[in-house]
Amino acid sequence: MERIGQKTDLTLSRGETRELLLLEDTIGNGALNSVINIRQLERSDLTLFVITAKGVSATNNIRIIQEEPYCRTTLYVLAVGESCQEVVNNTLIEHQSTDGWSHELAKYVLDGTSSGTFFGELKVAPDAQRTESSQTNRNVLLSNDARVQTKPQLEIYADDVKCSHGATTGQLDEQAMFYMRQRGIGIEQARSMLIEAFLEEIIGKLPESVAEEVRQKIYNQAVNATTEI
Amino acid sequence: MSLLSIKDLHAGIGGKEILHGVNLEINAGEVHALMGPNGAGKSTLSSVLTGHPQYYVISGSVEFCGKDLLSLPAEERAREGLFMSFQYPVEIPGVSMVNFMRAAVNAKREHLGEPALSASEFLKLMRSKRELVEMRSDLTSRSVNEGFSGGEKKRNEIFQMAMLEPRLSILDETDSGLDIDALRIVADGVNRLRTPDNASIVITHYQRLLDYIVPDFVHVLYEGRIVMTGDKSLALELEEKGYDWIAQTAG
Repeated sequence: MERIGQKTDLTLSRGETRELLLLEDTIGNGALNSVINIRQLERSDLTLFVITAKGVSATNNIRIIQEEPYCRTTLYVLAVGESCQEVVNNTLIEHQSTDGWSHELAKYVLDGTSSGTFFGELKVAPDAQRTESSQTNRNVLLSNDARVQTKPQLEIYADDVKCSHGATTGQLDEQAMFYMRQRGIGIEQARSMLIEAFLEEIIGKLPESVAEEVRQKIYNQAVNATTEI
Repeated sequence: MSLLSIKDLHAGIGGKEILHGVNLEINAGEVHALMGPNGAGKSTLSSVLTGHPQYYVISGSVEFCGKDLLSLPAEERAREGLFMSFQYPVEIPGVSMVNFMRAAVNAKREHLGEPALSASEFLKLMRSKRELVEMRSDLTSRSVNEGFSGGEKKRNEIFQMAMLEPRLSILDETDSGLDIDALRIVADGVNRLRTPDNASIVITHYQRLLDYIVPDFVHVLYEGRIVMTGDKSLALELEEKGYDWIAQTAG
């Protein structure tokens, strides 16, 4: 697992496997603006986590291009929002060549008056036959004023492909809340257990040493870089 | 000793009154069966007692071990020793059985002024209770009810009941969706957990479950009221004559 910076431009060489993490846990002057461009060559395998912690406003532009055959891409996007935070993720996965595989999962948990935007673009070029791709966006709104906009956009020009996408937005499961309370678990603890469970689908995919740090950072208040100096 | 005392309880959901004056007294050591046709108010009664937020009380009172039950939030009722085995246990993906049960057990212990269990004490407790209800060990290492069969979910309810040692358990249609073997195992678990200090309300449509969990009292709930109370022979009579008989008698 490697950390990457907010401006990252790299190419995975043939057969290369990389696991990358962009963790946005620092409040700078205004919103963060991250631009990630990744090219993948034949049989390379990319896993990228883009995680925005509570309190951090960010706009992330992520472009991943599979330029050669048999590439694999896994993209996890996670954001925890509160008060007036805004998180925008514009993601593009482009299959330019044959036999590519991609899987994208984006999850937002938004409280207060925070807002989230997920724009998920998937392009499959005319030559990219036998592409298999899935995109999922799931959001939980914890307050009446939190908002989320989701826009999947699939442009598929090849005919022999399997592509799926889905988006859901809802609140914490009321039935699960009551079930937990009936067992004696208080409302606040039940809420945090359900939120944690929702986020864990992504955090649980990180190596344990990194996962523990991410859990600490995204649930607690983000560090304010300007006052820490 | 009186565990539960319900007096003239009127309650409803969504602007509609369902319970029209329920009276029920339950003492320690007793098993009460609550029977009645669909729509009689059986599930409303259990939801009101456990504090489901969608149901509201119009009038009447409920005392649980001398406390005003209706003034307590759902979680405090549970910590005081009120347990419900759900008709439809909820799946909670991502929340492990271990974390779920540990949170529940320790919330209760804290409420009672007892120290939290250590990880090893807790696992030991889990193991012994699991054996009591004959639950497969892999089920407790999964997410709560996720991917459990109907029978496994019901057994998991009884397992949780064993873990929490409630003073009063409400078994809401525990027999629904169970085959006869699963029914027997669940009933055995309930019977093993029976002590002179606790009590149960067994809610059921059918007499069948009462072959395995023998009640001291049988009540018939009909159109929001308890219209008949008897011993276990009432359940047999009801099975024979059907709920139409109640309609005629109560009507």
